[in-house]
Amino acid sequence: MAVSGWFVALLALGIVPVVAFGDALALMGWLTIVAAVGAVDLTLAGSPRAVTLARELPARVRLGDTATSSLTITNPGRRGIRGIVRDAWSPSAGAAPTRARIAIPAGERRSVTTSLTPFRRGDRSASQVTIRSFGPLGLVARQATIAAPGVLRVLPAFSSRKHLPSRLARLRELDGSTSVQVRGQGTEFDSLRDYVRGDDVRSIDWRATARRSDPSSGAGPRLTIRTWRPERDRRVVIVIDSGRTSAARIANEPRIDTAFESSLLLAALASRAGDRVDTVIYDRRVRGRIQGATGAQLLSQMVSTMAPVQPELIEMDWAAVPELVRSVTSQRALVVLMTSIDAPGASRGLLSVLPQLTRRHLVVVASVADPDITRATHERRNRTEVYRAAAAERALLDTARVSAAIRQLGADVITGTPESLPPAVADRYIALKLAGRL
Amino acid sequence: MTAPTATATATATAATVTVLTPTVREGARRSVFWASAGAFVLLVAIGVLSLIGVSGDAPRLSPANPAPDGAMAVAEVLAGQGVDVRPTDTLDDTIAAASDPATTTIALFDEDGQLDDAQRQTLLETGAHLIVLEPGFAELASFAPGVSSAGAPDDDPLRAGCALSAATMAATVSPGGLAYRAGASAELCLTSDSDTGADAHSYIRVETAGTVVSIVGATEALTNAAVTDLGNAAFALNLLGEDETLVWYRPSILDAAGGTDPSALTPGWVTPAIALLILVAAAAAFWRGRRFGPLVIEDLPVVVRASETMEGRARLYEKGSARVRALDSLRMATISRLATRSGLPTTTDVEQVCLAVAAALRTDPAGIRSLLVGQIPETDADLVRLSDRLLALETALAEELRP
Repeated sequence: MAVSGWFVALLALGIVPVVAFGDALALMGWLTIVAAVGAVDLTLAGSPRAVTLARELPARVRLGDTATSSLTITNPGRRGIRGIVRDAWSPSAGAAPTRARIAIPAGERRSVTTSLTPFRRGDRSASQVTIRSFGPLGLVARQATIAAPGVLRVLPAFSSRKHLPSRLARLRELDGSTSVQVRGQGTEFDSLRDYVRGDDVRSIDWRATARRSDPSSGAGPRLTIRTWRPERDRRVVIVIDSGRTSAARIANEPRIDTAFESSLLLAALASRAGDRVDTVIYDRRVRGRIQGATGAQLLSQMVSTMAPVQPELIEMDWAAVPELVRSVTSQRALVVLMTSIDAPGASRGLLSVLPQLTRRHLVVVASVADPDITRATHERRNRTEVYRAAAAERALLDTARVSAAIRQLGADVITGTPESLPPAVADRYIALKLAGRL
Repeated sequence: MTAPTATATATATAATVTVLTPTVREGARRSVFWASAGAFVLLVAIGVLSLIGVSGDAPRLSPANPAPDGAMAVAEVLAGQGVDVRPTDTLDDTIAAASDPATTTIALFDEDGQLDDAQRQTLLETGAHLIVLEPGFAELASFAPGVSSAGAPDDDPLRAGCALSAATMAATVSPGGLAYRAGASAELCLTSDSDTGADAHSYIRVETAGTVVSIVGATEALTNAAVTDLGNAAFALNLLGEDETLVWYRPSILDAAGGTDPSALTPGWVTPAIALLILVAAAAAFWRGRRFGPLVIEDLPVVVRASETMEGRARLYEKGSARVRALDSLRMATISRLATRSGLPTTTDVEQVCLAVAAALRTDPAGIRSLLVGQIPETDADLVRLSDRLLALETALAEELRP
């Protein structure tokens, strides 16, 4: 049950008879009238308990986009329902409007549309629908809450996809004529074609030229050259740290989200380049694993798997990572570790297992750098800021020490701000491919 | 681009409706346990309170107050000895209780000065023996014009000092309460020493307008806490138990002046209007406060700014005035940047860096060395100055090496 403002106003109107008659009896009389009117209104209100609900909403939406949820309310009762309905989405689903006025005549149905603009990744859910049905006088309402579960999976934004076209273009350059001039390690035989001026004479395949020349024609030999292309079908293994350090926010974005962005860009790029990408999200147990997917399936599976993963407040178990990588592939692979390298103490686990990984694989450690810290080193106007700059320099020195230790163990380090890290990882991948180190 | 668009559409149709709000009957059934539990607790509380009894009468020297400063012990013992103790709190009740003045003692303790002159006069005219406990100036003026206040008695026990039975049987009485002075016509008991000699008394008996009035300042002797000390019990029981009836009168607010009833001045509609306003306020609270369905649970993420460790370390440096350590960090970073800019590896010795920088800037290496290594900041001002110079050095080198 609920009352409206009109009911309160009606009750307050009792001041007129009370003052006019100046008697407690007038008050009692007025209260009786109000109670009677309210009771009549309540009994004439349509029953909100009897309705049936049907919810229609998209299963997935990318963070930042807007989805539309539609709720169809059928009123099978004998009286019409006039009132307010609340579709109870969790606040982070960004539902608007949260309340809607409805008027459903008996035996009919109406739909209530809610636009959802979620502001956080993961599964956003609606649990129930509450209907408040007023009587014909609009004084008193019946209210019922009906379970109507709905889940909207909010996928990572993948805003770094804007970097993809330029990186793909560079990859194509790598794939085409340029690779003709880049012989040697890192390229594999592609095809034979006629020599054109400008080609590297060292690429001429004399044996093929001899086979193709036709002495009867009298014409000179048609030179044939070998073309090369970058290696294909290499393995890329992305390990994303979902431990406690990944919860920290840099420029209002958790580290894990930046890691997701970088992984998605790298996976999109590597799958176009013909490599196989496997991703594991891990802290002390596997939070998500995308393995064996190719082409269009890969990104779709990756975003779906990443969507509900949140950082866990536990320490990353680095000791299990070599075994994890071995379970993904036994071949030599490019292993990208998306983690943070803040302090020598916190990175001890990572440093202790790196030799095992670098012995078999090419390892790249990608870490988000905090632009606030870099900015703080330049601001030294007063005493507080100088101490702050000193602490910032100390933090940078710590990171530099860990980076140096990682490089010494044979791995590679990439750091960047949340905006610059995904393209930096993609560029490093292209550079490694170009150098044939995959 | 591929997948992450809102493509797939899932339709969840609720075939069977689950209503979460309980019906009136269900709600009643659910709350029956708590309602009955609440009623049970209430009954037990009422039962226990009625067994133990609760004393709302906590004031000082009240015959129903069992606290240390009450006088329940004396009242109970007197009742046990056959004295009819009647506690009253209005003048009318008191006069009614003292119907036979010849066998009645009235003990008056007007702590808050509720009675006015006329009421005191009425009390005096009953003719019963009047014991006035701790009288103030106005009461003394009405009941015993010849007696004046002498402040507090000193700390030694009060000596009997007269022939009145209550005092002689007690011999000594606890000090405390007030003392009074009077002329020789009064009987002066319970003497204590004042600054001017042994002229302060805590128990004085006078006769005013034909009524015997006892002025008693030694109220300490009547309290539950002290009644068993010295001769207090003898004093209290003999003083109050002289007659068959003891009316223990503590004037209350009901005696205060002001005869007009406030309800006579207000119009008849005020009370119902106030009641209506309360009801309207309650209805408005229900209107605005009625929840529109249960709350929705939101799983909040952990929000930790990554730079917090840096900020914390900065505050520690500042709090501990770790100037040398702070400057070390700044210097190490500067040296490494200078080395990189001069084309030296980052592992280069500081001396080498100093020489390279001095050569590039065409200055004295000793000055640069003292900035980068030597100087120790004595104050925070030094630290800020050195930090500025480090920045200036970096800028100067960058300017110098710019192609």
